[in-house]
This record gives sequence, C-alpha cells and structure tokens, in this order.
Amino acid sequence: MTQPKRGPQAFVIDAEGHVKTEIAFARDEVHGELAVMPTAFDRSARRQFPWAGILVSSLFALVSLWAGLAITTLVEDFFARSAWLGWAALSVASLAGLAALAIMLREITGLMRLRKIEHIRNAATRAITLDEQASTQTALAGLDVLYGGRADMALPLREFRSHAGEIIDPSDRMKLANRLLMAPLDAEAQRIIARRARRVTLLTTVTPAAALDIIFVAAQNAGMLRELATHYGGRPSTLATLKLARMVVVHLAITGGLALSDNLIQHLVGKGLLGRLSARFGEGAVNGILTCRIGLAARDVCRPIPASANNRETLASLLREVVNFGGKDKKPGDGIAVP
Amino acid sequence: MAVGGLRDFASGFLNPTVRLGVTGLSRSGKTVFITALVHALLKGARLPLFEAHARGRIRRAYLEPQPDDDLPRFAYEEHLAGLLGPTRLWPESTRRISQLRLTLEYEPRRFFAGGLHGGKLHIDIVDYPGEWLLDLPLLAQSYQQWSATTLSASRKAPRLAHAKAWHQMLATLKPTAPVDEQVVMASASVFTAYLARCRADDVSLSALPPGRFLMPGDLAGSPLLSFSPLELAPDAMPGPGTLANLMARRYDSYVAKIVKPFFYGHFARLDRQIVLVDVLAALNAGPDAVADLRVALNDVLTCFRTGQNSLLSGLFGKRIDRVLFAATKADLLHHTSHDRLENILRHLVSAAADRAGLRGAAHDVAALAAIRATREATVTERGEALACIVGTPRAGEVMGKTHFDGTKEAAVFPGDLPGDAARALDGSFAGQLKFLRFRPPVLTDGAFPHVRLDRAIEFLIGDRFA
Repeated sequence: MTQPKRGPQAFVIDAEGHVKTEIAFARDEVHGELAVMPTAFDRSARRQFPWAGILVSSLFALVSLWAGLAITTLVEDFFARSAWLGWAALSVASLAGLAALAIMLREITGLMRLRKIEHIRNAATRAITLDEQASTQTALAGLDVLYGGRADMALPLREFRSHAGEIIDPSDRMKLANRLLMAPLDAEAQRIIARRARRVTLLTTVTPAAALDIIFVAAQNAGMLRELATHYGGRPSTLATLKLARMVVVHLAITGGLALSDNLIQHLVGKGLLGRLSARFGEGAVNGILTCRIGLAARDVCRPIPASANNRETLASLLREVVNFGGKDKKPGDGIAVP
Repeated sequence: MAVGGLRDFASGFLNPTVRLGVTGLSRSGKTVFITALVHALLKGARLPLFEAHARGRIRRAYLEPQPDDDLPRFAYEEHLAGLLGPTRLWPESTRRISQLRLTLEYEPRRFFAGGLHGGKLHIDIVDYPGEWLLDLPLLAQSYQQWSATTLSASRKAPRLAHAKAWHQMLATLKPTAPVDEQVVMASASVFTAYLARCRADDVSLSALPPGRFLMPGDLAGSPLLSFSPLELAPDAMPGPGTLANLMARRYDSYVAKIVKPFFYGHFARLDRQIVLVDVLAALNAGPDAVADLRVALNDVLTCFRTGQNSLLSGLFGKRIDRVLFAATKADLLHHTSHDRLENILRHLVSAAADRAGLRGAAHDVAALAAIRATREATVTERGEALACIVGTPRAGEVMGKTHFDGTKEAAVFPGDLPGDAARALDGSFAGQLKFLRFRPPVLTDGAFPHVRLDRAIEFLIGDRFA
C-alpha cells in the first residue's frame, strides 16, 4: 500500500489464468487512532552504582566456590580412603549438582514463562485499545503456545480457530479470544479462589494460636497463587512465585480502595454479626475475604488477556460462591486440570 | 407523537421492543441489510461477536405479525427467494414502505428481567424507499427557500450539465402568470427528469428532494406531486390564482400530507439507528458525488433526535441512544482497506456523529457487508502483490476493456483508497478507483457470509438481552 498510483484492475480467472493465492492477513498502519496509554516512568536514570548488589553477588560466588572446594576435597578424601567410597561420593555429589542445575533451569523457565505472559498481556492490551493487527497476532500466537498442548483448552481453542477466516477487527478478535478462551478458565479460577478462601476461614477459626494462623493464611495464599498461575498457563517456580506475589501486592496497591463495599462487608461480617457470634469465626471470615481479594488480584496478574472492567468479578459474587459450601453445582475438592 | 410515545412506554413494560431505524439513501442496501439480518437471526448464522447469540442465550427467533396494521409486511420471503434463486439477484429498489417484526426469546440473565416478560424481545424494522428520506429536510423549509436552494444548486458544476432542459423550461415560466394546469404538469415532469438524471450511476448525486418525485409509490400522477421550483424572491408572496401560489400550496400540502406523517409515523419513535451509506458508489462517480453525499447525509441526519433517554423522554417521544454509521458493500474492497473506508465515512458524517456524541448517544463507524459476495485473494502482477477480491461481477459491469456477462469470475483490484479521508473529497482521487458490483454469493452451510454484521447487531441491540 505504499505506491500512490495504482489504477483499478480486473483479472478474469480462467482455467489457466492468473495464479491466485489465498489471502494473507497483514494490515497496514493504523491512521489517526488515539488511545490513552499509561506513561512509563524511567526511574533507572539516577540510580547509583549497585555496590550492594556486587557485594552480595561476590559473597555468593565466594560461598559457592568454597562449597565447590569443600565438596571436591571431600570427594578426594573419600577416594584417598577407598576407591568405591570415592565413586559413591562422586555420584552423590554429581546428583546434587544435577538437581541444582534442574532447579535453576526450572526457575529460569518459570521466570521466562512469566515474562511471556506479561508480553502477551501487553500485546493484548495494545490490540484492544489501539485496534492493532500486529499486536493481535502477537498475542494470539502467544496464546497458541500457552494453551496449544492443553487437553482442557482443546475445545475452546478449536472454536476460536474456526473464526480465523472471518473478517473481524483486531480489537474485536481479542475480545472474542477473551470470551472463548478465558471464560472457561475464569470459571475454574473462581472455584480455586473460593476453595482457598473457605479453607482459610476454617483454619483461622479452628487454630488455637494467633501466630499459627498467620502461617496458615500465608501458606494457603501462596498455594493459591501457584495454583492460579499454573491454571492460566504459568510455571510458578519459587522465584516466579515470589515475583508474582510482588506483582499481586503492587496490583492490590494500585487498585487501591478495592471498592468501598468490601470494607463495609468486612465491618459487618468481621466486627459485627459474626464477631458477636464468635470472635474467632469473625476473624476467619475477614481472612477469607482477604484471601478472595488477593485471589482476584492474582487472577488479574496471571491472566494473559487483561480482564475488561465490566466482567471483572465483583467480590460479592465470589463471596456468594464461598458461602456456597459444597453447593449444588460445585465440588469443593475438585482439582484443576494441570498440563 | 406524545400519544404514540405513551403507548410505546406502556407496552414496553410487557413487550420490550426495539424500534430499529434502518436509515439510508436509495441504493445504500437497506433491503439487503434487513433481509440478511433477519435471515442470520432466524437461521442461527455464525455471529461470533453478537454475544447473546454466541453464548447460546437465544432460544428461539421467529417472525411475528407486525404491530402496525396499516403497513404492508416486509416481503422477506420474496427477497430471500430472489437472492437464493437460480439467477441470484439482489432485491429490486424498494417502492413502498413495509414493516417486519422479529421476535427473539432469550435466557434472561437476571430473574427480574425475565420475570415480567419471560425474556422476549421484539425487533421492529421498517423498510422504505431511500429517496423518501430526502424529504425530511423539507420539514423546515418554505416553498421559497426550497426553490432558492434547488435553483442555486442546479446552477453549479456537477448539476449544471444535466439541468439544461429544465432551465430552458424555467425561463418560460412566470411566477405571476395565471394558473395553467398543463404548464404545471409539464414543468413538474421536466424537473423530475432532471432529478432522475442527477441520480444516474455516472453522476450519483444524493441531495435530490423531493423524494417522491423519484419514487412516487402509490402517488404517481397525484396533484401532490405536480409542482416545481420557480424563480422567486425569498419574501415574495404571490397573489391567489397565480402559478407561484398554486405551486407553493402544493408544496405545503406535500410537506403536510406526505413528509410529516412519514416522519412522525416512523422516525420520531426510533430506539436505535443504523445509517447505511454507500460510500463506494459515490467514490465511483467522483468527488462531486462524495461531497453531495455528505451534504445529503447531514441534512437528513439533523432531523433525528439522538441523545440519552430519561424517564421523561421515555414518556414523551424517545430519543435514539445508539447510532451506527455503516459503510455498506464493504465486500467490494479487500479487508485491508476497510480502515480507510471507515475513516472516509467518519469524515463524511462527522457533524452528525459529533452531535450524537454531544447529546450522549453512543455512536460507532463500521465497514459492513450484510451479505458478502466476494472472497479475498492476492494477485501478483509484475512482481507487485495486489490485494484483490474475487467474485462474479454482475452482467453489464465494465472494468477497463473487460466486459462482464454475469458468469465470468474475476479477481478485481479496485484501487487504493486514500489514507487521508479528506482527499476523497478534494478530487485528487478522480479516476483511480473503480468498484464493480457483484452477484450475490452462493449460500455456504445455510447462511450468508457477511462482514461485521455480528458487530453491528451487537452494537445496536446487544445490550437489550439483560
């Protein structure tokens, strides 16, 4: 579409005629579209030289060197004592090395997967707000990689792919992907959050010591985070989970008030009605609501397509599900399909 | 109007109804749009972006007897038979007004929404000759004003060439002469011939009121249609018995007896509106036609009441709270050019869109093909890839030296649309674009292929499936 002068033409298709190939989806640049994008702050400019980082890294390197040396001398010592003891020690040591390598690899792939999901989400956001063909393709290719091998996504993916040949605007196609691919995942995510919230409520209520329930709540929340991340296609290793937790905290801080109504619910439930019945159960309920909030934030962070404002789950509908203990349509113990 | 509004308001509780205004000048594709819309909903076509349908919430769709007994029924079955028949023909131009009621039964999302009416939505659609729409601006004009604007327009570039016979006739008419019925009828017929000439394919002008002159419906030969503009001073008041007096009287009756009932009966109570615009035909004819289309659209669209509805406006005459401007026949272009087509339409209707936006009505622009008659392909010609469309051009269509007989299939490159919408109006694109018209497609698995019909439906009525 660069040549300005190209007259209209017609090519009659005969038996041998022109070679015609099927359409290649490629859209030229978008003209005159405006969208409000959050400005990115470059905060790295005035950063000081990272001496602390160098200190920590060099100390860590020193410790690993020492560990390596210690293990090497240990193995040599064993070899000096007897050959078969030496071989045994060597094999144990290499097994340990292998495990360390595997863990490192897993951490790296976990972080890479997290970055990939972030990348997809950025592209999806661009596609929806700017109506960009290129971003839509990037996002859809990413989603294909993410869910291509999953049995539970086979049907939604097939349905979504059946629309590939139709003329649909980029942003509409992204919304279609949101509806067809994300909706089944969202339903299951809600179940995950509700189950964890129920568990937190129960644990807080029955734990004898206050200090103990902090540990329980933290463990349940971390578990929920990993479960949600896996559910949406992530590979939450330890570092990835930590990073995810940080993102969730930031997300909670950004979304700020988290709707005034939750606080009202908390006051009513925690200090009011349930608190009167039983102080512990009141606390449990508050912890449960907190878990729901963290769960929703985690879901927003893990989701490869940003949830549109109007279909963002309200806490109220989640709470309804929490209260629905073993309800008519939910099986609380029912796990998720993990690839 | 208030009575009609009250009645609508009361019946809206028990029978929720959307009055969908399919607005468009003649040959913009109103009949095809209505037929395709009804067919898609009845047959459950693939409409992935129409959410209620795609989520399977629509239980049943069927046609019901329409609410207004004094209107003929929209000949849906006939139009469909024409499209599907062995000769595959587009519907002929509409000659009279007709109405259709489509009812959708759906799963209500909330209990209360379903409690009162059981999840039913009626969609009332009116089809009418697009020429009649041109009459709406006459509501605000006197005979003198109308004469003056019509005359001054006919003395400028695009029209002047076709107005010769009428101008000659006009020179012989004296406004103050005594009435001679033969003269009146003769001048009316010459004036009608001038309007018809301006509307022909190669000229494709749009602003040609009065519309009944071009499409008289059942009024052919009626005295209501025998008047024509005269050379008159803006404040001249011709005495009784003169030619001008008779013409002015007939003009006033025309407005009072034809335009007003048409407008208040069908346009003043709309809920949603889709404005179909055939931008490509105007581009085919040249920048004058595009400019004229813009004028005609803006004149017509000022007559509609857009804005958000309040309780009070619900009682006394509704406002249109959603307007979709659609560039029809988008299938005559490769989809990579649809953005540019939308930009041109956005430019043409910018005044109406701004007005709708200011009053709080939602509006959108889409390139639409209710029935998609072409496929897409890329033809490589001298090392350059041309994004083409493939279909069977209608008999009689000509591109360069190629004449089509209605059986040959062809890949057509219609030219590049201007990236800057304003250039469609300034004439720098004259002769660089040529859009052929194609025959209707063969049905694929029971439904017509379409371009963005689902998006249009979702925008127009998607929020009514609560």
